[in-house]
Amino acid sequence: MRTMFRRERRLGILVLAPFAAFVALFLVYPTIIVLFKAVTPGGTLGVDALQRAVTGTYRTGFVNSIALSGTSAVIGGVIGILLALTVRSLQRPRWLRPTLDSWSAVASQLGGVPLAFAFIATIGAQGVLTRLLKGIGINASDYGISPTGFWGLVVVYLYFQIPLMFLVMLPAVNGLRSTWREAAAILGASGLRYWRSVGVPILAPSALGGALLLFVNAFTAYATAYVLNPSGALVPLQIRFVLQGNVISGEEDLGNAIVAWVIALLLLSLVAMTLLQRRTLTWTRP
Amino acid sequence: MASVDMVGIRKEFGSSVALADFSLSITSGELICLLGPSGCGKTTALRILAGFERADAGRVLVEGRDVAGEPPERRRFGMVFQDYSLFPNMTARQNIEFGLKVQKKGPVERREVVDRMIDVTHLGEHADKFPHQMSGGQRQRVALARAIATEPRMLLLDEPLSALDAQVRETLRDEIRRLQREFGVTTVFVTHDQHEALAIADRVGVMSQGRLEQIAAPRELYERPVNAFVAGFIGTVNRIPARAGAGGRWQVLNRSVDGSEPGLPGAEGVVAVRPEHIALDHIALDQGSLARWRIEATSFLGPVTRLVVSGNGPVQMIVDLPSTDAEDFSLGNLVDVRLRDDVGHVTVITAEAVPSVVTA
Amino acid sequence: MSTETIVVLAPGPVPVGEPDQASRRSLKPAGALKAAFLIAIALYVAIPMVAMARFAFQNVPVALLSPDKILTGWSLAGLWTAISDPGIIAATRTSLLLVVLAIVLNLALLLPLAIVTEVRSPHLRPILSAITLLPWVIPPIALVVGVAATFRATVPWFLASDYSLVPFYALWAMPFTYRALDAGLRAINARTLYEAARSMGASLGTVIFRVIVPNIGAAIVAAAALTAAMVLGEFAFASLLLKRTLPTEMVNYQRSDPRGGLALALLVMLLTALALGLVVRSLRRRGLDVQTTGL
Repeated sequence: MRTMFRRERRLGILVLAPFAAFVALFLVYPTIIVLFKAVTPGGTLGVDALQRAVTGTYRTGFVNSIALSGTSAVIGGVIGILLALTVRSLQRPRWLRPTLDSWSAVASQLGGVPLAFAFIATIGAQGVLTRLLKGIGINASDYGISPTGFWGLVVVYLYFQIPLMFLVMLPAVNGLRSTWREAAAILGASGLRYWRSVGVPILAPSALGGALLLFVNAFTAYATAYVLNPSGALVPLQIRFVLQGNVISGEEDLGNAIVAWVIALLLLSLVAMTLLQRRTLTWTRP
Repeated sequence: MASVDMVGIRKEFGSSVALADFSLSITSGELICLLGPSGCGKTTALRILAGFERADAGRVLVEGRDVAGEPPERRRFGMVFQDYSLFPNMTARQNIEFGLKVQKKGPVERREVVDRMIDVTHLGEHADKFPHQMSGGQRQRVALARAIATEPRMLLLDEPLSALDAQVRETLRDEIRRLQREFGVTTVFVTHDQHEALAIADRVGVMSQGRLEQIAAPRELYERPVNAFVAGFIGTVNRIPARAGAGGRWQVLNRSVDGSEPGLPGAEGVVAVRPEHIALDHIALDQGSLARWRIEATSFLGPVTRLVVSGNGPVQMIVDLPSTDAEDFSLGNLVDVRLRDDVGHVTVITAEAVPSVVTA
Repeated sequence: MSTETIVVLAPGPVPVGEPDQASRRSLKPAGALKAAFLIAIALYVAIPMVAMARFAFQNVPVALLSPDKILTGWSLAGLWTAISDPGIIAATRTSLLLVVLAIVLNLALLLPLAIVTEVRSPHLRPILSAITLLPWVIPPIALVVGVAATFRATVPWFLASDYSLVPFYALWAMPFTYRALDAGLRAINARTLYEAARSMGASLGTVIFRVIVPNIGAAIVAAAALTAAMVLGEFAFASLLLKRTLPTEMVNYQRSDPRGGLALALLVMLLTALALGLVVRSLRRRGLDVQTTGL
């Protein structure tokens, strides 16, 4: 018995060791160094770098990034939920559901370079939609609908945010039982009352969790933003600036500090999401 | 607490008929079980009563008033579902309170009613638990409390015990009956479990293919089923050939008894006979050549023992004897069978047709 | 005595539950609103794709576009030029190799770990699940700074190779790979399988490769497909480390030949979508759900 245990333990170490070493070397080590350097700018302990990373243009970057991510998360979240609720009750046409499922699995992964190109061809200066709107006397860029404007970026980001939210919400929406609705009705509750007392509270945790996921997703999106406007005042693009211009001394610490803030933000979101997710699971389990 | 009538209800889903001219009259305070196989329309009938489905034809009257135009939320009914359907974001207490809140009852009254409900359903220690922290039986108790807390005019139970295991099912079944009596609420209970139906109903309605085949008190239903379907669905029956004799009475297993319909003298037919309505007699060995029946199998079921006896060829019959009597018989014994003396009525399955030989 | 033919009639088994007839829908007015909403979504999905295709394949400047010119000037020439560009060909080869290597490395690290954890020490599952979520908190745009601050200074030769991307790509594939494998293992009741096979005398290696792996093939395929899509789309890390992968080369190429660049991007997107869509579909047909969200 003891030899078996020893062999089992050796086996555990055999599979765990390479994994642990790998994560430590390629993820933990660089991250720790960045975080360490962020709090020791110029070699001494201090918060200068962390402070600089959220002042001036960098503050603008954080504000813009948070606004863009927040807006696209809220709009994408609402549309994604509505989409999930709409198709839930639809049986016909029969092709709709599988098409939508496959599309969202794919589109939520898209983003990146091709998506940016697609919107340049649509709402760019030479875009078809821009041209079309001009034809009826509307100058799209006046409304911020250009790939570099705030709302333009929101429109582009929604292209992967909506399907992502749809995917995230599907299990929760499918977990809403029709008998809950019926039970509420027979107890005298109107449709509105059902949604207020039952439907919304049940969907809320996964909706909030989903919105957080969308927020993080947009916050860390680099390719789309870079292709559309490399000099935009968004955190990922600023990281690029700092990284490529690190010949100037002190800039390196600034980059580290920005990254430290980003990691803190994402970690916070992740913890919140995990807690919300757990709650949804206990509720929608059959 | 109301009398309810369903009159001439018809309901179709696409091309299939769920209910065909379905009528049911329920007196105030009565507990009716709708019993039938899957797809017989019993749940549809319940959902039309609740207002979740609209009948294609026919009327639903509560206290004589047509409720066709009333949506479920205005019917003031209570309902319990097979999947409990407790609101997962509310504790047991909050679930029970929900209907009262909707009715805009004051906090003091709500608390009083909820406390009473928790008391009568023995939920005391679970009152502040969420549904996912409770067992199936406890959840269904909460659902029951939630349904009766609002003092509904009528209680609808849609297979409320089907998802529970056998033991819980039995206790909760009796508890439902107790509460129903205590509150005097008119109740329709849909189930596919005949034991459940026979145990608690005032009257049981047996349904098949969208029709009510028979509605009667449990005992009458069991002893005098009106047709082959009801006879077959409730309990176990043997199909036994019979011949009509004088006065329309039927000759069955050496006895002459009344049938559910009289037979023309000389007509051949098949009647249903319950296993416990058959008696066995030993045949002496020297008479063995005359014996037609042989005991093929016995299974001890507690109070009764079930014997399978076979005649010539593939013909078999099930006989239930009190286990004390069954001790006299063992595997391979040759026996004679007869209808017990105290059986005065049989259900006619077919009349005037020459029965075909069917294998068991 | 007329007891010649006697037949036993016992009630047949009655199925539990009753999905009575066709539907349980409650009475609801089918919304024209719903249709309008779905159509709006469909337009939003389709218009950028159509616009992209037009730009890529119709050689008519948008300023000169008018209803009578809708059908003129279409050609695939831009696409041919783009896919015969030596830079693009080289970058495609690099990216495909990266895909293969990242998948192999990722599975080599996670597959044994996931299996051993599931069958021997399931209590470690939450910990592993948390660790494999870490890469998700440190996305490419953040990690690239750390990599620049460490490896660039200490082992410059490492970052000089295109294939230095492999471990990082494997890292970012971990969240969804682990979740796919874990779900697959739980779906087949891997622990019971393991115990059954071991009780019949199979060695550990036999159990893993002959029993468990074939049964979670679907999960492995799903993980591999998602990894491939991720690697083929990753831009930030490769671009900031100045690697010539397909996405970075596509951006470079597009600067000199916008039309060809868009044609290429459209092709890549379509192929990825098609491949991913097929995998998702075939898995769905086998009753498996694919979580693409990494959570």
